[in-house]
Amino acid sequence: MSKSEMLMNGCWESYPFKIEMLARKPKNQGELRAEDAEKLEGELVSVEYGSVESGEWIRLYCIVDSDKRVAACRYQLFGPPVLRAAADMAALLCRNKTAAEIEKIDYRNLEYFLRDHPSNPALPSNRNYIVNFVVNALERMVDKLEGREREESVQVCKCAGVDLLTIEKAIRDYDIDSIGGIGDYTKAGVLCGRCISHSSNAPAREHYLEDILKKVRKELLEEGKAKSDIPDKPFSQMNLEEKRAAIEATIDEYIRAMLVMDGGDMEIIDIKENGVNTDLYIRYLGACSGCASASTGTLFAIEGILKQKLDPNLRVLPL
Amino acid sequence: MQRIYLDNNRTTAVDPQVSAAMKPFLEGSYADLHALHSDGARSRKAYNEALEKIYATLHAGEKDSVFFCSGAAEANSTVFYSTYINFILSGRKNSIIIGEREPLSILQIAEFLESQGVRVHRIPINGDGVIEHERLLDYITPRTALVSVSMVDGESGAIEPIDEIAAICRRFEVPLHCDATHAVGKIALDLQSTELDYLTFSSETLHAPAGTGVLYMRKDSELLPLVWGGRSEAEAYRGGPLNIAGIAALGKAVELAVDSLEFEMEDVRDMRDMLEERLKEIEGVHTLVPWALRVPNTLLVAIEGVESEALLYELDKEGVSAYSNTVYPYGEWIRTALPEAMGLQRSLNHTTVGFALSRYNSEEEMERTAEAVKRAVEYLRSFMPSKESL
Repeated sequence: MSKSEMLMNGCWESYPFKIEMLARKPKNQGELRAEDAEKLEGELVSVEYGSVESGEWIRLYCIVDSDKRVAACRYQLFGPPVLRAAADMAALLCRNKTAAEIEKIDYRNLEYFLRDHPSNPALPSNRNYIVNFVVNALERMVDKLEGREREESVQVCKCAGVDLLTIEKAIRDYDIDSIGGIGDYTKAGVLCGRCISHSSNAPAREHYLEDILKKVRKELLEEGKAKSDIPDKPFSQMNLEEKRAAIEATIDEYIRAMLVMDGGDMEIIDIKENGVNTDLYIRYLGACSGCASASTGTLFAIEGILKQKLDPNLRVLPL
Repeated sequence: MQRIYLDNNRTTAVDPQVSAAMKPFLEGSYADLHALHSDGARSRKAYNEALEKIYATLHAGEKDSVFFCSGAAEANSTVFYSTYINFILSGRKNSIIIGEREPLSILQIAEFLESQGVRVHRIPINGDGVIEHERLLDYITPRTALVSVSMVDGESGAIEPIDEIAAICRRFEVPLHCDATHAVGKIALDLQSTELDYLTFSSETLHAPAGTGVLYMRKDSELLPLVWGGRSEAEAYRGGPLNIAGIAALGKAVELAVDSLEFEMEDVRDMRDMLEERLKEIEGVHTLVPWALRVPNTLLVAIEGVESEALLYELDKEGVSAYSNTVYPYGEWIRTALPEAMGLQRSLNHTTVGFALSRYNSEEEMERTAEAVKRAVEYLRSFMPSKESL
């Protein structure tokens, strides 16, 4: 175990200020009724996810206006304060978006928006499942808005009420390679533990987490997704191609989400080596181009993250 | 605002008399128990006094042994490892029986021993939250190496039928171990009338600092140390220099707890009952173990439509420290939620919150707690649909 794991940093007092504020003073909770939809001249849509028996339950309400945009979004829930914070943030993010835009709100975006500081994770890893729970609820909302049928799936973990598709998707999306990881992101297997593997003193089940993990990892390996293109050496010793791959990966993981949420994006134009320095030329896209913050706050954030994650001698130059 | 501490089944405030008893060994000289000088003599005197107090309060026989360690978790582990090596590895016995809701130190070591091939049986609890002692007869054989049942459930405060279990164990000549951490100072304890082979308890629930525990062993029982290095009988089953300050504190704490057991627990019971009555006024509040089967200081409720962690969070804002064992992954969280184990509706699984009182609480605090719970329940239920049937 490492020092960061040994430190007692997993409780309320170490949660970000943002989560505390949202948990203490949520703004989007409550029910939306047909009258509200009438007033906003839209259509009311609601979905439910989870169950009180498993400890988390949520019902999302949306009113979709004639432009197919969400005019209002509210929620009702049963669950811990962090769920309240995550749901409140999700309801806020959904507003004024189309179903296709809501579909882009994934775990990474939502978690990012709950952070106080871009480089500090919002929650300890064993509570990732709460953010993932809200993301899954949003997915169901998008399906309903788009009129898509959801595939039926068998329940694997009965205590936490997690089905097979959710587990398989989590393993793929978050590149999970351990049973503990599945628990962190879905809460499957952490309660009674009988769904982890077959044991002689419990009745046999159709699916076990161990088998699911093995199967999906094998598929991932075959698809070549599990393998990373980025070589395992310091940034300064990489050649230009490798540097580009590393920068792309870092942007995808830590930066793009925050730009996309504001309707913008960025692309890499060129990378040049300049003595010890590496110069990265970028172009802003969408809402970012022309934004006043593109040459100040946003730029400093991008440069800061790349410097911290890759190399302090990296410079970002917007064109 | 003064905070209200209602988590006394986990740790308790240190009693001023207890802290006075340990003070000489925290300030001033602190000598080893075996040191050949007057400072050592002072430590030996404190050790002897504490030991006498423990023998007296437990009504332990002259030929029985009592030794100190770091806490009930260490004492429990010692008993289980020793049983495994002495009885099971040697092939003399083949299985262990534990209660379904033992403390984590026992549940985890039982799981570990199970992975080593030991047969472990778990006795379930009934709808009252108390162990069904007759089910012990389903599992017990003369080849059972150990039966281990807590005297009192630390979450619900349920008092287990130890006398009945002890009688069954005697009949089959199987050793019985009891974790009495939540029983000492709460219910009368007499080892002359209750025949146990091993009894363990900790200091932290007795208004002494955490870090000291006791392992009692009836005469003619077998035990191997878990921690080696003992230099005398006092350290025979637990090596390493003893924590004299902690032992002096525990001796004093046990004395206080047992001497004032009756009148103090009456006061605590009255306060607890008052809180219970007030909470029952709220709709959808279930108390989990019947009044008569519970220790006087504990109240565990399940509140329909209110999640445990959310309630703890709201109570904390109001200055009330309560507890819950159903908040994953925190605290004493156990794999099966109590409502499910008791056969109640599963929608109550994540709604339990407990209040464990001590002699330092007051009626005014109970009033404030009840008001805080009422407000929090009303607020949290506003997040739920009104006519949602749970």
